[in-house]
Amino acid sequence: MAKPGFEINRLPGFATIALGAFVLLYLPIATLVVYSFNGSNSVATWGGFSLHWYDKAWANADVKAATMRSLIIGVSAAVLSTTLATLAALGTTRRRAFKGQTFIYVMINQPLMVPEIVTAVALLIFFGILKVATGYQGLGYLIAAHTAFCIPFAYLPIRARLESMDLSLETAAADLYASPWQTFRRVTLPLLAPGIMAGAMLAFVISLDDVVITEFVKSGGQDTLPTYMLGQLRRAFTPEVNAISTMLLGVTVVLLTAFFLLTRKKD
Amino acid sequence: MRHLLAATAMVLASATLAAAEGQLQLYNWGNYTSPELLAKFEKETGIKVTVTDYDSNDVALAKVEAGGSGFDLVVPSASYVPIWVEKGLVQELDLTKLPNHKNIAPEWLDVAWDPGRKYSVPWQWGSTGIAVNTKVYGGDINTSAVFLDVPPELVGKINVVPEMIDIVSLATMYVGGTACSDDPEVMKKARDVLLAAKPNWISMDYGATERLSNGDWAASVNWNGSTMRARMATNGDVQYGYPKEGYPIFMDSVMLLQDATNVEEAYKFIDFIMVPENAAMISAFARYANGIAGSDAFMPEDMKTAPEVVVPEEHKAAGVFLPTCTGKGLEYMTAIWTELQK
Repeated sequence: MAKPGFEINRLPGFATIALGAFVLLYLPIATLVVYSFNGSNSVATWGGFSLHWYDKAWANADVKAATMRSLIIGVSAAVLSTTLATLAALGTTRRRAFKGQTFIYVMINQPLMVPEIVTAVALLIFFGILKVATGYQGLGYLIAAHTAFCIPFAYLPIRARLESMDLSLETAAADLYASPWQTFRRVTLPLLAPGIMAGAMLAFVISLDDVVITEFVKSGGQDTLPTYMLGQLRRAFTPEVNAISTMLLGVTVVLLTAFFLLTRKKD
Repeated sequence: MRHLLAATAMVLASATLAAAEGQLQLYNWGNYTSPELLAKFEKETGIKVTVTDYDSNDVALAKVEAGGSGFDLVVPSASYVPIWVEKGLVQELDLTKLPNHKNIAPEWLDVAWDPGRKYSVPWQWGSTGIAVNTKVYGGDINTSAVFLDVPPELVGKINVVPEMIDIVSLATMYVGGTACSDDPEVMKKARDVLLAAKPNWISMDYGATERLSNGDWAASVNWNGSTMRARMATNGDVQYGYPKEGYPIFMDSVMLLQDATNVEEAYKFIDFIMVPENAAMISAFARYANGIAGSDAFMPEDMKTAPEVVVPEEHKAAGVFLPTCTGKGLEYMTAIWTELQK
């Protein structure tokens, strides 16, 4: 389709710039992973190969507790936000266009547009009032906050899937006397499942990685893995942090790969 | 799925019991609290301490100020202590409940930011000085001239940590002013000295323990605890200098929050950490001095004699507690720092 002579990958310097961008993106991460296997207690001087820091991170009760907390929050937020996002996606696509649709679309995706720190400060103040008023300090606040900012990430793949699904299948089901519920259960939902799974995994990863909002919303004893790592900043880092990061990276890569495989167009 | 919901419900339920018997919520800098100390405290009192991390004074302040944070104790830096008091976020301590309050070393009792220690008790303290590899430079290291009038041996080999208050204050004291001065003449001189010296620095970066140990840097403005580790890693080549023109001292202190729910437990903990043996445990973990008289006897052997931790008598007088900087002084400081970053 492109005009002859205007293919971007033929432009001079394309390879150099692309290579440079990839190096900048991945070299620091590769360094981090390499030094997680460092034998000495330095994050910059190599002291031989060792799994010592994985051992240490694994035996660290704080790291374990933070990991459990991250998982509980991540799974809860993923389930809740994906459920809400599925309903929202059905409501905004499986019908004729209506007045205010764009407005609703923007409202749903608001967490993508508003800077995270603004949301964090707003939640800090709002939940602060709630915590005083109710006396409840539990994980519920973190789950609620994570659910809220995960919704657009779950919503986008589900909506994309719905838009690529032919409405005539559902119309055909209705023609064959399927009730609306039967149509949804037997036709729409199975077709939509990959989109829902993809949305849930993306939401989980986003929740797992969150720092700013968690730091502001957490109550006593509610450090998640990322806020725990942030807390180590003031004193010297040891490769233990690299080891934790590498494991976190591993989980993220596995989930993102699954996300890619599920959303890939079948040719 | 049902199991997950049940597990979640249990976690949610247990979290509401934060104010239950035998609990304490400590809000502290990350990686700053000795786990052995907490284990010993739990063994002696049956009180379980939950530690939550923060990485800056401002985050801690913002969270507690918003209310309902659920913490009992917080550990702010000296210059923030008056802010916590002024905002009414902390309680005045009932000293009758703290028999070990008498253990606070005399020089840490009547401090400017909390005279008589009515609101805060010492956690740990340290200083900002100059770390120099004496193999590279053999001259006087107890002066800010090392980084402000860089000797030829160190040109292009000295680092400066990117801490505005520490660095500008060192320069202000070097030109004969007081830290956080609002005298434009003094601040102008400090600015000129810093800008003239900057081309001779290799970088303005953190990570001095590493880079001094492996020889990347021959010198750096640095904290005492970090320099001690670098000295041990280089078999004594790296030494710590206390600038005679004046050097900043920092201290983090424990305070009891106004909305603490576990007040009795908090008093027990505050009293517990002022026992010399326990204070030494705090130091042994994070490698800074603690401000409790008699704790030296319980310190790890390598800290008892460390010139970075035990300030030599002749350098004590030059140590300065940085005041809480406001108004014109802060304005000048920020302006100089911005220019220095260009």
